[in-house]
Amino acid sequence: MSRAIRPRSRAPGMTRAPRFRAVGPSRERESAHAIDLSTRIGPLELANPVLVASGTFGYGDEYAHVVDVSALGGVITKTVTLMPRAGNPAGRIAETAAGMLNSIGLENVGLEKCRSEKLPKLRSLGATIVASVGGETPDDLVRLLEALGDEPGVAGFEINFSCPNVAEGGARYWADPSRLEHTLAHLRPLTRGALIAKLPPDVTSIADLAIACERGGADALTAVNTFVGLALDLDALKSKLGRATGGLSGPAIKPLALARCHEAVRAVGIPVIGSGGIESGRDAMEFLAIGAAAVQVGTASFIRPGASSTVLDEIREFLASRGIARLDNWRGCLRDLGQGRA
Amino acid sequence: MSRAEQGNGGAKAGAGVNGNAKSVAPLRVSTRTVPRTRWIQAPAIVRRHEDEGAAHRWLELEAPGSFATPLPGQFIQILLASPSAVLLPRPMSVASARRRGGRCVMGFLYAPVGPGTRLLAACEPGSSVEVLGPLGRGFPLDQPGIPVLIACWRGVAPLIFAARSLAHPSARRRGRRAEFLFGARDRAHLVGLEKARREIAAVQGRLQLATDDGSRGIRGNVIDLLERLAPRLAGTPVLHACGPHAMLKAVAGWALSRGVRAHLAMESVMACGTGVCRGCPLPRSRAKSEAFDSASTPSLWGNREYAMCCTEGPVFEARDLDWERVE
Repeated sequence: MSRAIRPRSRAPGMTRAPRFRAVGPSRERESAHAIDLSTRIGPLELANPVLVASGTFGYGDEYAHVVDVSALGGVITKTVTLMPRAGNPAGRIAETAAGMLNSIGLENVGLEKCRSEKLPKLRSLGATIVASVGGETPDDLVRLLEALGDEPGVAGFEINFSCPNVAEGGARYWADPSRLEHTLAHLRPLTRGALIAKLPPDVTSIADLAIACERGGADALTAVNTFVGLALDLDALKSKLGRATGGLSGPAIKPLALARCHEAVRAVGIPVIGSGGIESGRDAMEFLAIGAAAVQVGTASFIRPGASSTVLDEIREFLASRGIARLDNWRGCLRDLGQGRA
Repeated sequence: MSRAEQGNGGAKAGAGVNGNAKSVAPLRVSTRTVPRTRWIQAPAIVRRHEDEGAAHRWLELEAPGSFATPLPGQFIQILLASPSAVLLPRPMSVASARRRGGRCVMGFLYAPVGPGTRLLAACEPGSSVEVLGPLGRGFPLDQPGIPVLIACWRGVAPLIFAARSLAHPSARRRGRRAEFLFGARDRAHLVGLEKARREIAAVQGRLQLATDDGSRGIRGNVIDLLERLAPRLAGTPVLHACGPHAMLKAVAGWALSRGVRAHLAMESVMACGTGVCRGCPLPRSRAKSEAFDSASTPSLWGNREYAMCCTEGPVFEARDLDWERVE
């Protein structure tokens, strides 16, 4: 398929470029809403590029009284597995410098309750729903997609190939290009919705995984999940988490995530959704500049439940202040960064 | 993150306080079942911030009128103005709450023991923070029985608030009398003692003290106080307690072995405080786990194995948790 998003060749500072419509400061606010933020993720046409990351927004309705979820690009649900999971014992959260570690362990209500209760609620809010699904084996994922593939109102699926906090079927198990490719090839026929592969950052080459996913038939990738991290309590002489390591998220990982996202963007032709440490519109603009098709707001929602709305508003303001009428004119403007240099 | 940093818990009183032996039915359904108001996040201004002794601070924040008044046992997420050296908001149980000129003024008693609370301690009156709340479910003070408030060290914070709500005229009219048991390592660690004394006096209750070294009150702990008090009570006690988990375990054990109801304000490290991150699990008791019904459990509460401290708690009934596995 052809790329919906094409890199621009101009630097973002060149706001006098002919493709940009001049916008006077007094009309900035009005024009901010006229900016075309449309975003394409495989078969999905999103109104804007801001999604909320899996596991940071519940099943989508929990923050509905503070965020208009229908105004977001999409809501990615908490990862759902075939059977309910109780999650890991206490010691699930530890704050670190500019970040946090989590070891939740994919606690979720399971397929049946998700389908009977959570998805209908989210549908009623008018959100574009991307269901995150996770499995310990390729067969688990096939069964999940067989069950949910044609679920009304579910626009796509993000396959969680990258949870760092489970004993089976976690990031390590899936960080195998041929396993990813074969699994996605099995999943592909099970849905007409967008098939998105969420990748782990702790790999030798995210490009290899990205290419494998594209070959397997994924419509898009998410780069990246949390980084494996460890924090110690030197007084108690133990990990601050119950399960030793956890997944690091928050502003601390933004440069790391941006680099991996960039690497994935350059490796494949399918859209890549950037994720990792995005708190503001400017953070989002960095991911979009290196060629991400869309972005996910994650940990920031724990701190300010309205963070995703704020990011969306700030993206509009950012573009309006530079007289850029279409997000497509910004996306990928720095995609070729670093090319041609030693 | 930190209830762990603050080391206290929280509490609420429904208006229908009813402890008198003649009328046993609560006057109204407990307000704990479903939160009556939804939390919001709003800017707040530091109105008072002063030393409370024993390296503790008393903080008063003024939130806008749209901020619902917290109930005793509920908590607030306090987020420092950005940029801040800490990322996450700090959960703190509320030690007082009142409306002033339509706005919501909340008091907090805490110790600057971690990076977040140390930064908070440096906030001068007039500076701004953000508050998110009210969160969680507090003490069911409307339950029939004689309320016995039990505090250890800075766990006194939500019980000062609980005592105050028992002193509400509607509660006083029903002749409600409360007992307040307060313990600490030594006299210096009986933080907030004067506030506790004032509130318990207003409800014509009795305040009894215990210290490990005997420097104030009896030499011993709150369980010793409870042992002395229990035989002298005219009716069935209902315990409401907050303090370190070791103390709460002891109170829970005491209550469970005697068939007495006890409500314990628990602590946990948290990220969001609203049930979304799933970061603050507490192990359910076997009975509670076996009786768990996912269909009737609100979506932000816990699962069969774990309760979420932030949404189902922070106040739990003794019989609802597996105290062996509580850390």
